[in-house]
Amino acid sequence: MAKYIGLRLLQSVFVLFGLSLLIFFIARVVPGDPARQALGLLASQEQVERVREQMHLNDSFPVQYYYWLRSLLHGDLGVSSYTRRPVASDLAQYIPATLELILFATLISFVVGQVTGVLAGYFRNSWFDGVSRLVSYLGIATPSFVVAILLLFVFSQVLKLAPGIGRIPIMMQPPPVRTGFMMVDGLLAGRLDVTVTALKHLLLPAFSLAVIHIAQEGRITRTSIVETMQKDYITLHKVHGIRTSRILFKYLLRPSIVPTVTVMGLDFAFLMSNAFLVETVYMWPGFSRYAMTAMLNKDLNAIVAVVLVIGMTFALVNLIVDIIIMFLDPTVRLRQGGA
Amino acid sequence: MQDTTKANLLAAWRQRRRNLAHGWYKYSRNPLSVLGLVILVLVVFVAIFAPYIAPYPGHAKAYTNFRDASQAPSAQHFFGTDRIGRDIFSRTLFGYRFSLMIGAVVLGLGVAPGVVLGLIAGYRRGTWVEVVIMRVTDVFLAVPPLVLALAITAMLTPNLINQMMAIALVWWPWYSRLVFSLASSLRNEYFVKEAELTGASQRHILFREILPNCFAPIMTKMTLDMGLVILIESTLSFVGLGVQPPKPALGTMVAEGAKRLPAEWWSTIFPALAIVIVILAFNLIGDGLRDVFAVEDV
Amino acid sequence: MPNPSSLLEIRDLHVGFRIFEGHLRVLTGVALVVNEGERVGLVGETGCGKTTTVKSVLRVLPIPPAIVTRGEILYRGRDVLRMHRHALHVLRREELTAIFQDPLQSLNPVFTVGSQLRDIVRDSMRTPEGRALSRREIEARCIQALEETGMPDPERIMSNYPIQLSGGMRQRVCIAEALSTTARLLLADEPTTNLDVTIQDQILRKLDRLVDQKGSSVLMITHSMGVVRDLTQRIYIMYAGSIVETGPTRQLLASPKHPYTQGLMASVPRLTGRGVSEGIPGRIPNYLEPPPGCRFHPRCPHRMPECSVEAPPMFDVGADQRAACYLYRRSPS
Repeated sequence: MAKYIGLRLLQSVFVLFGLSLLIFFIARVVPGDPARQALGLLASQEQVERVREQMHLNDSFPVQYYYWLRSLLHGDLGVSSYTRRPVASDLAQYIPATLELILFATLISFVVGQVTGVLAGYFRNSWFDGVSRLVSYLGIATPSFVVAILLLFVFSQVLKLAPGIGRIPIMMQPPPVRTGFMMVDGLLAGRLDVTVTALKHLLLPAFSLAVIHIAQEGRITRTSIVETMQKDYITLHKVHGIRTSRILFKYLLRPSIVPTVTVMGLDFAFLMSNAFLVETVYMWPGFSRYAMTAMLNKDLNAIVAVVLVIGMTFALVNLIVDIIIMFLDPTVRLRQGGA
Repeated sequence: MQDTTKANLLAAWRQRRRNLAHGWYKYSRNPLSVLGLVILVLVVFVAIFAPYIAPYPGHAKAYTNFRDASQAPSAQHFFGTDRIGRDIFSRTLFGYRFSLMIGAVVLGLGVAPGVVLGLIAGYRRGTWVEVVIMRVTDVFLAVPPLVLALAITAMLTPNLINQMMAIALVWWPWYSRLVFSLASSLRNEYFVKEAELTGASQRHILFREILPNCFAPIMTKMTLDMGLVILIESTLSFVGLGVQPPKPALGTMVAEGAKRLPAEWWSTIFPALAIVIVILAFNLIGDGLRDVFAVEDV
Repeated sequence: MPNPSSLLEIRDLHVGFRIFEGHLRVLTGVALVVNEGERVGLVGETGCGKTTTVKSVLRVLPIPPAIVTRGEILYRGRDVLRMHRHALHVLRREELTAIFQDPLQSLNPVFTVGSQLRDIVRDSMRTPEGRALSRREIEARCIQALEETGMPDPERIMSNYPIQLSGGMRQRVCIAEALSTTARLLLADEPTTNLDVTIQDQILRKLDRLVDQKGSSVLMITHSMGVVRDLTQRIYIMYAGSIVETGPTRQLLASPKHPYTQGLMASVPRLTGRGVSEGIPGRIPNYLEPPPGCRFHPRCPHRMPECSVEAPPMFDVGADQRAACYLYRRSPS
């Protein structure tokens, strides 16, 4: 088991290495002068030249890469040409906000997706099944920014049920930043009003993010359940008298859940990408908006750092998903050798 | 001699016709799949004939008319007008042109190299060829496609060609991986071994023996991917990295309209619905295809 | 009028499947009876509709594409095909039990043997006073069930996953599951076909003894004459979706009357005497376009003109033995 994890981590390192090369290559090949970009139009040519020396822009490609890699390993991701702060500290500030959003969205999508999937699969061809299939088709076909805009429009502006943009109301004093998670920080500072408001503000954006995943995972779960229901062992469970609720949520769910979890792992990538859009629409001060700004402003250091962070997260999540699958499905575990 | 060849060809043609009829029967069992096909046909029709159907074709180019700006949907303007007086309905129709064209080009550019690389890697599994190809694929797949497409487009000048190239670049690895797993399991089949023994060239084996057996999953994936590509393209446009104004891209229209919610809801909602409808159509068709190709056992 | 002492009575069952090419007419008028305490065999080659029959009794046929066009399945007088869901659940839980052919498919792969067995006992058994069983009682009953099937080291088996057990052990677990509940009728669909020849016999004997102890009735589906000879009192021979002959086991096997049964008996290889037999010429019919009349007539050495007009009803051919063949028309049943 440990050997397997070790192997996977090593693989990820190689892949990330390749990824960094790719992004670095594209970033440097792109027309435009990063130094000029950083200094602005008013800087003199000598100043630009000096900065170019500093940034090693006149050196050959492998040399540039070497310098960059070296600073990377020291935790220095360069300075953002837009915010003029170290990229690393920018990331530290914005990542927790996005994490809050993503984790909450994952929770919602898992719970809602599984329940609807199981019920739709078990009561195949019932009205519930029909409605949920229709809804899931629409959910998959709708880009996240459309979902975000629609939900904002309907619930916040028209129905006035939920608060609008931002993590907490503009007027509210934010608590001291300890973890970066607004709800946790509110609790730590003893300010429950912050926690509650933060939760309310989290609902719409998290749900917007979750919609497409509820649709996707619900459908996979449903298909998986329908397939499993054809199996002999389910028939025998029924014949031998096991309670229906137990069959539904224990014996039917577990064998069916493996494809869902696999899809969740792949979907996580989409979750991260869609966070970009949701954060933009809801003005959420998160990592994705930072990344978006970086891209729109050709902030090369930030772009590279962002892509790497995403790549790392993705690799990590995939690894975790694979480990979870090994727990859920003993046949996989036993084939892998050693439980 | 000639007669038997002709007879064989005729028989093969008949068989293919029968398979097609069988396939259509299965496909048409599901009303949703047929609906998807109908919608797609309508969208394609509308896209091709947009210059003739649109009531105000000139509005798809640079056009301003502040007198008619921001009007609610009416008989003259089905979807209303936007901030600078352009008819949204006409622009939506032209927007479809861009979406479909981008989808077709991206898939055309991205699928072919991906499939070829996947075939080679799968057939030569265990050799350095496979290792190199698949590692490169892994690198491209290490990041979600949207992020990579955003990053690449952001670093280049945002315009139509760059957008298409960026998405195509992001797309090929998915096909490479799909075909790789198909090819590496197929290469042990009897017909491949036979071909090897009779001295067939590698090109023949790859394209005449293995590839036809991958046809079904590739087709299904391509259909579903059309929807996905349009989704990504509209996202890129939404963010401002796509086709530049005044050209009408559906995503851009949604972005412009979003600023004016909730008052001028029509400038966002209609383009948004247009996006959803076309993606939905491709998804329905893709699902229908998947059901057709699924092996059933009675 | 339902026979008062019959446990299971299938009457004139017609089952078909709708597919692209058309309508597969599989079962055409299956009729069989299992009485209280009886062991009945259902014999036929692969594809003749035996499993479809069993699935109909349990009501687990995939309803589209399957369709029951005619017939009744009476369990103690009540029609299974028309029961409400709840009554069906109670029936399955308390009266019926089953063993299927493939032990690997019959056990849930992601749960341990113990988990499955415990849940079966927990949900279907009650003490004589009517309360639920305690954890210890459940555990004891599970171990006992496994021991009864001749399993060595039942405690270890309880914590194993099905994939870790051999085929024979898996089938023993299935038997334990089937017989650990109260059940009056056991439907066994080729329980030993997938096992090694060397243990087939062992398992069958064990099954035989356990059923005896419990006093259950059995409907044993198989394609093996050997199995049927040792374990059943009455048999039905099935061909292409209908019953062609029935009677007491020993008697029927000693003197088969229907040409198909005769062909089957002649095909069984004998260790002594003349060498390898020929088998029956021809193949089982295409259910899409079955031959008119008696479905066996294209392969029958005794066919007559009337055989291709209408399927023959059952005629008496001996003490309690009946065959569906116009050869015996003189004495209608």
